[in-house]
Amino acid sequence: MARPELIIEGLRVGIEGREIVKGLDLTVRGGEVHAIMGPNGTGKSTMASALMGHPSYEVLGGSATLDGQDLLAMSVDERARAGLFLAMQYPAEISGVSNANFLRTALNARRAEDDLMPVMQFHRELKAKMASLEIDPSFAERYVNEGFSGGEKKRNEILQMAVLRPRIAVLDEIDSGLDIDAVKLVANGVSQMLSDDLGVLIITHYQRILNYINPTNVHVMMQGRIVRSGGPELAMELEARGYEWLRQELGIDEPITEEA
Amino acid sequence: MAGTLVELTPAEVSAFAAREPAWLRALRLAALQDAAGLPLPQSKQTPVANAAFAAPGLGQAPLISFVDLPAGVEVMDLRDAIAAGRPEVEKHLGRLFKEGAHRLHALHLATFAGGLYCRVSRGVELKEPLQVTLELGGGSLYAPHVLVVMDDGARADLILELRGEAGAEPSLRGAVEIVLGEAAACNYTEFQRLPGRTQTYWSRRAELGRDARLHWILADVGARLSVADTRTYLRGSGAEARVLASFFGGRRQHFDFQHIMVHEAAHTTSDIEARGVLQGKARAVYNANSIIQRSAKGASGWQHEHTLMLSDEARADLIPELEISEWEVSAGHAASAGPVDPAQIYYMESRGISPVESRRLIVAGFLASLLHDIPLRDVRQRIADIFQEKVEL
Repeated sequence: MARPELIIEGLRVGIEGREIVKGLDLTVRGGEVHAIMGPNGTGKSTMASALMGHPSYEVLGGSATLDGQDLLAMSVDERARAGLFLAMQYPAEISGVSNANFLRTALNARRAEDDLMPVMQFHRELKAKMASLEIDPSFAERYVNEGFSGGEKKRNEILQMAVLRPRIAVLDEIDSGLDIDAVKLVANGVSQMLSDDLGVLIITHYQRILNYINPTNVHVMMQGRIVRSGGPELAMELEARGYEWLRQELGIDEPITEEA
Repeated sequence: MAGTLVELTPAEVSAFAAREPAWLRALRLAALQDAAGLPLPQSKQTPVANAAFAAPGLGQAPLISFVDLPAGVEVMDLRDAIAAGRPEVEKHLGRLFKEGAHRLHALHLATFAGGLYCRVSRGVELKEPLQVTLELGGGSLYAPHVLVVMDDGARADLILELRGEAGAEPSLRGAVEIVLGEAAACNYTEFQRLPGRTQTYWSRRAELGRDARLHWILADVGARLSVADTRTYLRGSGAEARVLASFFGGRRQHFDFQHIMVHEAAHTTSDIEARGVLQGKARAVYNANSIIQRSAKGASGWQHEHTLMLSDEARADLIPELEISEWEVSAGHAASAGPVDPAQIYYMESRGISPVESRRLIVAGFLASLLHDIPLRDVRQRIADIFQEKVEL
């Protein structure tokens, strides 16, 4: 299979009649790690949710394709099966459903009826992946995200990514609320998965996660658009100088709105 | 409730009971006489055509999956137990329906036919659960009676499955009586998966001696109309009873369930946990009552009822009650009904799970805790699978 390719062109997204993403262009290919940075309320998470197909967000214009397929025409589960993965900022809790059962159902949803993964093989692979993320084996039988700490939830998102092997993974603030050790663990987990068969888009406020995952491309998003793109050095510069200089340089002085 | 009652004469009942022992014929005739003076069951929300349940019933032999029964355990068709003159049958049959009975209960005693008898002698412990199936055929009304008598210190689990031939649409009127001696313990699992047009009227009664323990594990998925009432008398101090009731109604199914715990002795504990799922135009009426009498100091009675609504057209009425006549007790209830959380569906779909499969998982997770105590893994799994497969989109 060819390298994965996510192409976003002129994407506009609104929520409750308010336009948040105002024309976004971005291409992510297998083997690349893109970081989208920017202050709160600039539409980063809105973009991620709209790509996944969250029902509260309305696509007002533009296009998004994954390996040439029109993502925006697909239902949420179809997008996932086409190879898109979104590690969520606030993953839902599902009482009574074990992580293992949940993941096996998700994995089998990608496979033909007569090619379902054997239970034993699944548990072996799950166990190996949990070990590499330093996740306690008891995790498999705990209910999905129920009673998980913030760090456990994020690690669970990365575990799901490792099991489901997406072609394009969007990590929405996977570092937020984590202490530095947890950030390292999550970042190392993602780094282990990097290959030409995976493109990664990391959405973050902070540069620190990029110390552990080297981005190939860094973008700054403000007021619903990508306002600057560059290499890893751009992240360093933002870390050192903040966003204000860029805002001034670009002549952006509107107040920052709340993140939707 | 609407509907007229079929008039039964003593001569008809005598003819019905012609081959039975004199004590039973007398019991039936007395019940028939009582019936006239008793009120009809009352439920504002449930349109039961009483006539459907008031006729003499057909008997159906239970299918008993034999385990190696140790000495001191008997399981058989109730008719055989009556014919064999088991004294426990004469002693207990119908006894728990004397209190709070209504006309259908009395008519049931007058005209029940066959059923199940299970007796576990003093101190005997059955390692494997007894599995019994009542499969209804093509008749019009079946009227089994289930009598379980467990002596002091006896322990046994029973799994009763109610099902019917596909395409059959009989009515079922039945009763269950469980008598537990001191420190006896029983998990009673009942799985109702009758064909889609069946109507049922089903009453359960239990009496618990000192330190006895009873778990009613009830799973309802079938029938067009299923009306059931469960009343548990905690008569000995330290007795403990639980109801773990799960149900799943779809299409135009109508469930009307009532669970009552009667605390008569000190330090008795009860817990009613019910979880239902409704889709289509299904309707559930759910009453629970924890009655703590004056004699029940230190009692504890709790209720939790939750209903998951998969459709806007389904309807649930939850009516929890507490009647407390004693100080120093602990009691309370929590009830809720609501739709599936769209955030859960979105999350599951974002992992590639289809909308219908997402709902199936949520339903399975919602009901899982109520099936935990079913003593056989394959039975537990089969019930869980049937619940899951029922989800329509």
